Order: sequence, then C-alpha cells, then structure tokens
Amino acid sequence: MDKKVKKEFDPKIVGFLCNWCTYAAADLAGSSKMEISPALSVVRVMCSSRVDHNLVLTTFFNGADGILIAGCHPGDCHYGEGNYYARRRYALLKKVTESLGLESERLQLTWISASEGNRYAEVVNSFTEKIAKLGPSPINCRSDL
Amino acid sequence: MKAKVGVYVCECGPNIASKVDLDRILETLPALDEYREIELVVKKYGLLCSADGKNYLEEEIKSNGFTHLVLGACSPRDHNKTFIGVCKKTDLNPYLYKIINIREHCAWIIPDKEKATEKAISYLRGGINRVLYQSSLFEKQLDIDPDVVVIGGGIAGIETALSLAGEKRNIYLIEKSGKIGGKSSRFSSLLPRQGKGLALIEEKIEKVSANPFIKVFLESSLESIIGFLGNFEIVVKSKNGNTDIKAGAIVVASGYGLIDPLSSESHSYSESDDVYTSLEIEEMLKEHGKIMTKSGKEPASVALVHCVGREEKGYCSRICCNYMIKIARYLKDQSDAIKVTEFHKGLCMPDKGDQSFHKAMAERGVEFRRIQKITQDGTKISFTGMDGSPGNADFDMVILAPAIVPSEDTDSLAELLEIPVSETGFFQEMHQTTDPVATSIDGIFVVGAAHSPKGITDSIFFAQAAAGRILTHLIPGEKIVPEVKVTEVLEAFCTGCQNCLDVCVYGAISYDESKGVSVVNEVVCRGCGNCFGSCPSGALRTKHFTNPQLYQEVREAIR
Amino acid sequence: MTEDYITMNRSDNVLIIGAGLAGMKAGLLLAHAGKKVYLVESLPLIGGKVIKNEESFPNLECSTCMVAPVQQDVLQNPNIETLTHSAVEKIEGEAGNFRAVIKKSARYVSMTDCIGCGMCFDPCPVSLKNAWEEDLGERKAIYVPCAGALPNVPVIDPDQCLQLNGQQECSACADSCMFGAIKLDDKDETIEVDIGAVIISTGAETFDASKLPELGYGKYPGVYTPFEFERLFASNGPTLGELTIRDSEKTPGKIAIIHCVGRQQVGYCSSVCCMYSLKFAHFIKSKLPDAEIFNIHSDICLPDKNYQKFFNKVKESDTTLIYSPSPEESKVSQNGSGLKVVYTGADGKEQHVEADMVILSGAVIPHPEGSSVATIAGLNLDSYGFFEAGKDDIGSVHTSREGVFVAGSAEGPKDIQSSVIQAESAAGQVMICLGEVNR
Repeated sequence: MDKKVKKEFDPKIVGFLCNWCTYAAADLAGSSKMEISPALSVVRVMCSSRVDHNLVLTTFFNGADGILIAGCHPGDCHYGEGNYYARRRYALLKKVTESLGLESERLQLTWISASEGNRYAEVVNSFTEKIAKLGPSPINCRSDL
Repeated sequence: MKAKVGVYVCECGPNIASKVDLDRILETLPALDEYREIELVVKKYGLLCSADGKNYLEEEIKSNGFTHLVLGACSPRDHNKTFIGVCKKTDLNPYLYKIINIREHCAWIIPDKEKATEKAISYLRGGINRVLYQSSLFEKQLDIDPDVVVIGGGIAGIETALSLAGEKRNIYLIEKSGKIGGKSSRFSSLLPRQGKGLALIEEKIEKVSANPFIKVFLESSLESIIGFLGNFEIVVKSKNGNTDIKAGAIVVASGYGLIDPLSSESHSYSESDDVYTSLEIEEMLKEHGKIMTKSGKEPASVALVHCVGREEKGYCSRICCNYMIKIARYLKDQSDAIKVTEFHKGLCMPDKGDQSFHKAMAERGVEFRRIQKITQDGTKISFTGMDGSPGNADFDMVILAPAIVPSEDTDSLAELLEIPVSETGFFQEMHQTTDPVATSIDGIFVVGAAHSPKGITDSIFFAQAAAGRILTHLIPGEKIVPEVKVTEVLEAFCTGCQNCLDVCVYGAISYDESKGVSVVNEVVCRGCGNCFGSCPSGALRTKHFTNPQLYQEVREAIR
Repeated sequence: MTEDYITMNRSDNVLIIGAGLAGMKAGLLLAHAGKKVYLVESLPLIGGKVIKNEESFPNLECSTCMVAPVQQDVLQNPNIETLTHSAVEKIEGEAGNFRAVIKKSARYVSMTDCIGCGMCFDPCPVSLKNAWEEDLGERKAIYVPCAGALPNVPVIDPDQCLQLNGQQECSACADSCMFGAIKLDDKDETIEVDIGAVIISTGAETFDASKLPELGYGKYPGVYTPFEFERLFASNGPTLGELTIRDSEKTPGKIAIIHCVGRQQVGYCSSVCCMYSLKFAHFIKSKLPDAEIFNIHSDICLPDKNYQKFFNKVKESDTTLIYSPSPEESKVSQNGSGLKVVYTGADGKEQHVEADMVILSGAVIPHPEGSSVATIAGLNLDSYGFFEAGKDDIGSVHTSREGVFVAGSAEGPKDIQSSVIQAESAAGQVMICLGEVNR
C-alpha cells in the first residue's frame, strides 16, 4: 500500500467473510505469507447471507470507512443458495447506503473461493486503496453498539 | 458473578512470537480501562495445540475457574475443535470460548511487527468483548424411530427396502399400482453387463414378499407427512382406509415416465403405423416372444430412432443408446436377415461394458448412422447426415427411444414432502456432486429415476447409497445430536410475515397459526443465518452469531 | 450370506484404501456410525484427484470449497485414523476377521509436532519438479504437494534429500524448525490392524498420451494432458492460474481440445471427458475472451440431467465444435511457431486447425495402485483393469472377496456424483456386512 496515503488516513474496514470459502481463502493467503493490508478486520460469519441490513448499517453508522462482504462463488454456497440472497440484499443495501450520502463503493460484495488465496489478498488490498482514496466516511454517529 | 476471562496467546513457536510482540499484549490488555469490571488473566504459551499445551490449558481453566476463555492463536479451521475438546474436559461451556486468529490474520500477513501487534490487540479486544456476550449452549439428544418409508415399488424402492429391512427396522413400501417391480419387470431382458439379468429382479421381488420386516402397501399413496429427521409422521392412503406410520426417514423412489413422441414436432404417426416405443417393444417381446408388424409379419427393415424429445426436454436420458442396441440385438437374434439401422446423434455409452456391446452389434451388421437432424412420419424417415447431405428411407417398422421424464406424481409428491424439483422436472438433490441422494430436507432421500434418468444399475447404486446414509445415521436405539448453533425465534418480535419460511432451503421453519409466529425446528436448522437476513423485525437470533456478538467484533475493528 | 457370520471375535473396524472423495465420504459415514476407520493413502495428502481441479463440472463449483470441509472433517474425526504416505501390504483372513499389514513410509516430519508453518522449505537447497503439480511447478526435497494441502505437514523425499541420499551432510530444514518436528532418522513403520471389512477406493488415472506419438505429447511443449491443464488453470497452481504455454511466457491464442484420446485403446467411453473438455473450453474463454477454441469430438456423452445445459452454454459462447469420427487419430505437428492439428472430418476427408495449445482429453484408466492392491488382497480385476464388482449381480459394490468392497473410479470411470453414490453404497454394505445390530 502507498505509504503516503496511509499516513494521511488509516481507513477502518470490516470484512464479513463466509466460513466456508472466503475465510478459507484468507487462511490460504495467510499460510502463503501474502502481505495484506491491516486496515481490514475480519469478522467470520457462517454464510454471506447472514449479513443483514442492520449489521451493515450499524457498522457504517459507527464509523466504518468500508465494508467488504465476501462469500462463495454463485452456485458454490455451502448452504445451497445463501450467496444469492446475499447478492439481492446487497443490491438493496447499496441503494440505502447511497441515500444516506455514503459513496456506493464503500460497500463491496465479492466472491472468493477457498483456493483463491492470492485473489483474497488482491481484493483486500485494492479495496483498502480505494477506501483510502475516498477518505474518511462522512457518517459517524457512533451509537452504543 | 464477576466475569473472569482467561486470555492465552499462543507463540506458535516463532510463527506468532516472532511477528507479534506478545509481551506487549500481556502488558496492554490487563491495563485497559474497559476491563475494570472484569477479572482478566492474560498469559502466553509456547504451543497450545500440543499435548502439553492442551493439558496446560485444561489445568489453567480448572484452577482459575474462568467464566470465559479467549485464545489468540491460529485459524479456527485448524484448531477450534481441538480447544472445544479441552473446554469439554472442564466446567467451561465451549460456547463461552473463542479462538482469535492472530496468526493468519496478523502474524503472517503484516510484516511490520508493531502494526501486527496492534492488529492482534484489536482482534483480541474484540474477542474478549465478544465472549462476554456469548451464552452457554447445550447439546440435545433426541430419540429416533429407525423405521423407513419408501415411496415407489420399482427396482430402486425394492433395493432400498431390502438393504434396510431387519429385526430392528421395519420398512413401509408404498406402491401406487397393484404390484411391485416397476417398469424393469416389464422388460424382456437386460443388458449383457447386467449380471444374471431379469432373474435377479424377479428374485428381489420375491425377497420383498418374503421379508417379514417389509410391509407393502399396494394401490396406495402418501396422504400427508409432518415431522423431521428421525421423527416423521406419515399417513398412507389405501383403498381400504388410511394408515398412520411413524418413521425416521423417507426414501422417494417414484420412478419415471416416457415422453409422448407425438409431442415432438419431428415425429408423427398414427395407430395403424408400425411405429412403437421401446417399452412397447419390450412388452411385445415378453408377451409374444417375437417382434412382429401389425399385419403379423416379421419386419424386413427396422429403424431405431434415438433421442426422441431430447431437444425439447434439454437433457440426455442416459440409458436409451444402450437399450436401443439391446433392441437391435433382439431383432438380430430373431433373424439375422432383418436390416437394422440405428439413427443417433452421438452415442452415449457411459458404462465401461457398453462400447464392446456396441461393437459386437455393429459387427453383426447393425448399421449405426450418425445424423444431425431427423424427421419421422409413420415409417418414413428423412434425415440430415453429419456432412450436411440429406437422406430418406422407408422401413417396415420404426422403434422410438422417447426421452425419460419424471413420473406424473413428481410435482404432487414434491409439494407434500416440501422438497424442490429441478428445472428438468426431476427431484432436486441436495448437491449435484457431493450429496446427490439427499434432498433439502434432512431425512428425505431421492433414489432411482426419480432423481434423474438412470438405468437399473445406477438405480440400485442410488438405493444402496440412501440405505448407507440411513444405516450409518439412524441407528436403532441410538439418539441423534442436532447442531447447537441454530436460529431461534423471539416470539415477542415476530410479526408473522413468514419471509423466513421462503428463504430457508432446509424447510426448518414453519408457521404457528395459533400464535401467529414462525417456529424453527432445531433438528433441521443448519445455522446458516439466511433467515436472519430476511427478518424485517429482528425476531430471529442466530445462536453464537448474534448481532450483539458480532457488534463486539465490529466495534473493535473500527475503534 | 451375512446371516451366516459368526458374531464372536469379529472386528468392527474398517480399512479404506485411498483417501479421495469416495474414500473420505465412506469413512465419514462409517465413523459417524461409531466404526473405527483406518484410512490409508499413498500420497502425503488426502483429497484425491478432485482437489486438482479448480472447478468441477457441471456447476463450475470451486472444488476446494467443496472438498476442504470434507478433508477437515476426516482429519478431525476421532474415529478415523488417517494414514497418509502409507500402503497396505497384506490383507489376511476373512470377512469380519481380517488382519491388515500397513506400511507407513518414513515422513521424516512428525505429524504431532509439526504445525505446518512451512519455514523449512526455503532453507532446503534441493529444488526439483513437483509431480503433484504435473511437473509444472517446483518443490524442495522437503515439501507439501500444494499450498493448502491437508494434512498440512511436509514430507521429505528421501531420494532427493542430500542428507538422506548420502550426498552430503545437510540439516538445513531441521535447523530451521523451531518445533523439533523434523526427524531425519525417521524409519518406515509397519503396523497390523484387525478389521472387519475393507473398502477399496484407489481411484483412477488418465490415459498416457505418449502412447499415441502422433499426438505430440512430450514432444511439443504446447501439448497438455487434462491434469496438466487443470493445474495450469488453478489459481493455487504453479502459475497462479495464468494460462501460459509451457517453458514460455506466451499466452495461447488458439487452443484445440481433442476428445476421446485413448478411447479405442482402452475399449470404453470414459463418460467424463466430454464434460471436462467442455469445461476446459469454458475455463479458457473466461480468462482469454479473445481465444479461439476448437473441441474436436466424436460422440458427445452427457449422461446426467444437468450436463446438456452446460453443453449448450459452452457450444453457444465458448468453443467451435468440430465433429470427427475419430478424433484420437488426429496428428499434431509443428507449424511455424505454433502447432497444427490434422483430423478426419465429417466427410471422411482430412482437415486441419492451427493451435498454440493442444489439450488431449485422455481416457480414464485404472490407477496403477489398484493392481497392486488387487494382488495383495487377492481380488479379481475386470478385463479393463478396474476392480470387478458383483460379477453376476447388478449394481454391486462387492468385489470377488467377501467383506471387501469397491467404491469410486477404482470400479470404472465415474463423475464425482457417481463416486459419492458408490461410496455411500459401500458404507451401507459394510454396515450390513459388519453385523445385524443396525437392522
């Protein structure tokens, strides 16, 4: 990551990763000792479909600069079709976050399979860079979590 | 009681210790203001997953009397189960423990030691806060009924029943027609690779009748079903009334039908034409011992047309190529003088013995003609060859291989059982490759051609596979232990919108009309949390992954 | 048959030979039923052939995502003893009362002390081709076959390790290990176990394309076997999924996929090649949208309700289908900097396409390990070299020896679905064989 950008602004990013695919990819990236931005904090969930609007919005309201939701590729869901639901909810959430004055790029949904350790690293690093460029989130009404 | 949280960070040899400043963690965490209200013990250890490490941890939990435990170590995918095992040896409920992955998420991916340490502290704080929000969960043990209901008395249903029936397990075989045996018992013979052939089928039918642990319901159907894995309640409707049955599992073996060739634009004929379907030929041969035209003569030339209705249905029926070669053999066995031509669009011979059978019949003079397109009008055939050249011919007899379609009662059964049907019209399996015999409902299996077009061999394998699942999972006298991390309904918040019922692929949620709320069946729920995402009123709680618990992790992430 | 067994002194343990998907699935079912399972695998990792594929047909699912949870379950199951890098040497006795001798080859790394950090790889001075990666990647003398291998414990190749082959004193790996997990004095070990039933799931291989020299395998770097292509495509493979032609940086512009390679030689259709060949076309198109792809095929075998849909999709957007009555008789030759594939067309005349890369879709053949297991266990093989099952029966997993069962492609070419079905079937038959307690 660009050191200069980092000095100016350290983004806070939350990554909701599904247990079966993307969390496994993060493990693979780790055991392959890939360098990954510390801006993203991993929160493990069983399925990307578990990530509901409340969780996303509360995370934004409390000052997250970016949220990454990542699960299995379409068709690969450990629970059959959870990731399709995640995709629909994401489409809706994008609109909601936009209406709140948040840049839509701050919320990203992506599919990373268990063998894509290198892709995990790429996605996290490029997402961090993107958020760093956007600057701090305009919303921060820290409520009591 | 004041919470006493044990926090142990694992050095993982040099893997964590050399990349994360563990001593700084040991100093920082206890000094934090936010932990004034609780008692915090923070220590490091060389290798927690080693035998010594596990013993050490067990002793520490016992001697300190921790109410909660946080480990800063490796990925939960590596050692979560290991440490749950340690907790289980103590009084600490394993759901009051959490492993924090400071190896894959800090030590190994952040080269700067200071940053890695900060990150590890942040993750650990999230973990400490999270465990304080976690609740004890307890495994339940449920009694099961080992009996099995099999729907369909064809070869798949028969094989399932024979594999399962025994002194401790009764089988209820429900057949809609007046006798068991299904379509295969109407065949004249089987394929050369199929062992002793029809005799085996007949043997199996007799074994069913002779087995005291198999109760056959003829001219009967499924009337209703409630319940779940291990505890289904089924009503069977027969001519002379209804029967109530309790069973632990249900196997659907409802078989197949054949497409009406006339529904395809490429095929037309009338009753008086010498045009037959493959099954009609099997029955003709079985009944009369000979394949004859309607005028009672032996045909001099016969066209065998493959893939009837395939384009319309959108799938290959898998078995037609082989049985059409078998029909060619019937004809050649009857008289070598019969000119037999098979019109096909590429042969599908997926079993290892098939090609030699094909070769043998080609050597006996059966002409295999690969074509691109075919139309049939009575016994007249016109076609387009592979090189694009047209051709046509007239035959004494035409035999069609109609596509295999789901049996008529598939949709109504699917509705009763609440299991999905795939876009091909056959029952949808749980997973195409890794779980083909299960359905979305635990304890309901689908076998034979009800699953997809398949021959006798594969139907038997599917039946045995379902039996394998039941024999290893529903053991007479033993209990089942359902998943603990499931979803629960907070009835006070539930508005009864029933969104959650629609999204649950496992059918784990039902609606209680009297209370006006959703009810989660904890035996069936797998804890994915999809329903949670669909609930507009926050009435669901995904145990061990509740929003308050996840917020604790989030709060530290964005501190 | 099973009713006659004497119930005294019988063993309830099960031996499973081969830890591919079939072996693992059968093992998990039996372990769930409380049976003690010995799962023996010749390679140092479990998972079988499936984990070599980035994605599996027809739904193009990530194979690792599908199989890794199964692997984890196997390794963490207290009823399953997984013996990797091991081989069965003897099976004596009869159904219910077998005694098996298993040789555990020295791994030189302790399964209990190693935590899989991989610090030992870099110091090792020996680099060589990695056979698990179809020789497309490199490994050290101490290695795991691939990133993410399970169990995540390296093995030392004693023929290549300088210390172990006596070339020079070297303890670089041992010095780098902070856990003292490397045991250069490790020895082969032989154990004997009592077992009641055996499942054979030794799997299959693909046809050795060099037996058909006209196809140019081994002669032209641009000619690939199916598993070579799978590893080339895999994002955890040697090129991290970048499609470049062997020994060059060149991206192929034209690719020919030749179906049915070896079909006439082996005498059967392998039932999976059409689908994986179509999958390859789709793979290539997904990474190289401008590539021109030709599938040179004869019969298209799509024996599942969901296969034709995939075929239709690939046919429409990914490849040019070329019918040849005998694709395996095609000839591959050098053509400038690329290759030329000459084949017999639908009209019986010779045609050709130009290609930079040629993939030979080889028939599925018995795994060489199968025949040695057959000899050890005294089992009949069929005329193709697969395990003979249920000679006079239909749909049987019983081998020629009572109490010994076969599952997966050890019995014949199979897609994943059919392998899993047979594994579950075999598990059920073992339950029946082991006793009536369950029925």
